[in-house]
Amino acid sequence: MLESPSHASDDDLLRLISKGHEPAFVQFYRKHQRAVYRFALHMSGKTEIAEEVTQEVFMTVIGVAKQYDSKRGSAASYLYGITRNFVLRSLQRERPYVAALDDAEDDHSGLLVSGHDLLGDLTRNQQIESLRKAVLALPPAYREVVVLCDLNEMDYAQAAEALGCAIGTIRSRLHRARALLMEKMRAAERCAV
Amino acid sequence: MNADERDLVEGLRALSSDGPCQAPAYIEHRLVTEFRRRSRLRRARAWLSAASVGAIAAVIAVLLWIGPLAPRRAASPVDSLAMADETTAGFYPLPDAEALPPVESAMVVRVQMPMASLELIGFPINQDRASDRVEAEVLLGQDGLARGVRLVE
Repeated sequence: MLESPSHASDDDLLRLISKGHEPAFVQFYRKHQRAVYRFALHMSGKTEIAEEVTQEVFMTVIGVAKQYDSKRGSAASYLYGITRNFVLRSLQRERPYVAALDDAEDDHSGLLVSGHDLLGDLTRNQQIESLRKAVLALPPAYREVVVLCDLNEMDYAQAAEALGCAIGTIRSRLHRARALLMEKMRAAERCAV
Repeated sequence: MNADERDLVEGLRALSSDGPCQAPAYIEHRLVTEFRRRSRLRRARAWLSAASVGAIAAVIAVLLWIGPLAPRRAASPVDSLAMADETTAGFYPLPDAEALPPVESAMVVRVQMPMASLELIGFPINQDRASDRVEAEVLLGQDGLARGVRLVE
């Protein structure tokens, strides 16, 4: 089978995928799976949802690659659009469980404690865990901007393209989301004291 | 950005690097398997369409070669349907065939097709023998479109 050129753009890869070119699909998957998986993981807080969503997103790509139109946006925003829909659908399905996250043991919350600074590591892990819970408790519209801009390190323009809204909306939502997070973290600190 | 916000962003950065950062390998494997299956189906579908067109062309060529036939009594609709029912027995319908108009006058052509094409009509096949050829009869409707497939014993 022909190799897809390593410098091929996303548009080229999607065109090849629609023609059944396997190496192009593998290349496209390896290029984007990390972003899709991490977005789904940080939005849901669950590895099984992240895995299921990643699989569904790329299944969709296999099925509808032919319909992709680069004039309507980049491949990355096309992928984020699909991912977002699947994540929101999963969250709706899992709502009772997500609501109970505060009480539940998270599946990747295992504390990796090294011997050199036990207390420091524990504190750090607890802070990360509190922050994870605070992010997961944000309303989805705020959570997704935090995930894209702060966790996936996208700039405002990329996030705006991915979510299909104005840069100003991203900026204001991120500002509000950070304020909510700080409130939650302060409340968590007070409870800890 | 004030100190609290800076701390928060720093914490978010730490959260970002915490936990698994990419999908497990089994997902790629599953997706590639599905991609292959769909590619095979697509090829088989294209092959069946080409086979139908080829068969029709062959029939037309034979009819032209034989020359004009003696005029016949036009078959009544009842005759046509009865003939179609008899002819269509034992054929497995192709996907989307139900959306086509009912068969009024049918034509059957014998072809050789790749085993992979049988997946189209729901036959479980041995993937190792997917490229082997089997003999089959394709049922063509009055419009020349394939409606079903019947395996030749």
